[in-house]
Amino acid sequence: MNLIERVIAISRRRSPWICRLNAGSCNGCDIEITPLLSPRYDAEQLGVELHGTPKHADIVLISGTLTLRSRQAILDIYAQVPNPKAVVALGSCPASGNVFAGSPLVLSESLDSIVPVDVWVPGCPPRPQAILDGVARAAKLLEEGATKSQLESRRGRLS
Amino acid sequence: MAMLKTILGNLLRPPRTRGPADMPDVPPVYRGALAHDAARCTACGTCAFVCAPKAITFTQDPGVSVSWHFFIGQCSFCGLCAQNCPTQAIGLQADAPGATNSAAGDGLRLESVVRLQPCTRCGAAHVPLPDAVMEALWGVGEAERGYCPECRRRAASEKLRAAFVPVQEAHHDR
Ligand code: SF4
Ligand code: SF4
Ligand code: SF4
Repeated sequence: MNLIERVIAISRRRSPWICRLNAGSCNGCDIEITPLLSPRYDAEQLGVELHGTPKHADIVLISGTLTLRSRQAILDIYAQVPNPKAVVALGSCPASGNVFAGSPLVLSESLDSIVPVDVWVPGCPPRPQAILDGVARAAKLLEEGATKSQLESRRGRLS
Repeated sequence: MAMLKTILGNLLRPPRTRGPADMPDVPPVYRGALAHDAARCTACGTCAFVCAPKAITFTQDPGVSVSWHFFIGQCSFCGLCAQNCPTQAIGLQADAPGATNSAAGDGLRLESVVRLQPCTRCGAAHVPLPDAVMEALWGVGEAERGYCPECRRRAASEKLRAAFVPVQEAHHDR
């Protein structure tokens, strides 16, 4: 890794831009992101900035139950995030469907079966600091080049 | 001037922002991650029954053990399992669960193994009752402590029978 690549890698950790995707959440997890961006928990102390469009983001925060209708939206938005990218799943819903599992329009499967998830933040909803911790972990993975999408593209380049 | 005073005052005060590791105190009733105590569990299945998202499951190794499984990615932290556990084997910890990299699996899974014991009378493998429950039901140092539920039932009915049906030789003065 030469100097420029090193600087780029460090800047990925020091300024992770995030975008939110509500895949069918009860809004509990999304409500917890709001204090995360407030001065109290201050995500910007880690360089985190919330952006409205996936095209500006490094990390996608996905919250909520996966539904039949949100499946395609998740795939579309994930495809629009420029490489390298990381996915953070918030709460219990993306991992299993939580209490909504088994409902007719709920997928009741892990988000991992739709897009590669790098960090899981447990909780229902998770605390703001747990979310911040999750974002920091994802940023660290981006620096190390160890997110699943980065590993995947490296594998693709080698083969 | 007033603004200057505010600025000076704020300069001297510590910031209100919390660092990522600076977790605020949570109230003692906060429902955080689950903890399970295998020594108190009787594998009755009440927790799995009341759990709406089915975060708790059981597997059996017949004759050897029963395992209690918990998947945090399915839990809604409602606390019903801890509330309904008759032996208080489940507790919801006050510390909040942290984030996990998916390299370590899709979140946190707990497994807690409840070993079966052979009955001291008939030898059938069974889940021993927790000590406190045993003491309350059967007292300390009774032979029934090592019995399986079937033999305990039998022993209890024998006791009952002995209390109601007088033995022939016994003098009954009522
Ligand atoms: S994990 Fe809990 S708080 Fe978050 S969206 Fe699901 S039900 Fe709502
Ligand atoms: S944890 Fe409690 S409720 Fe669950 S099986 Fe054990 S004793 Fe029963
Ligand atoms: S806290 Fe609620 S959702 Fe979680 S395991 Fe217990 S009963 Fe199930």
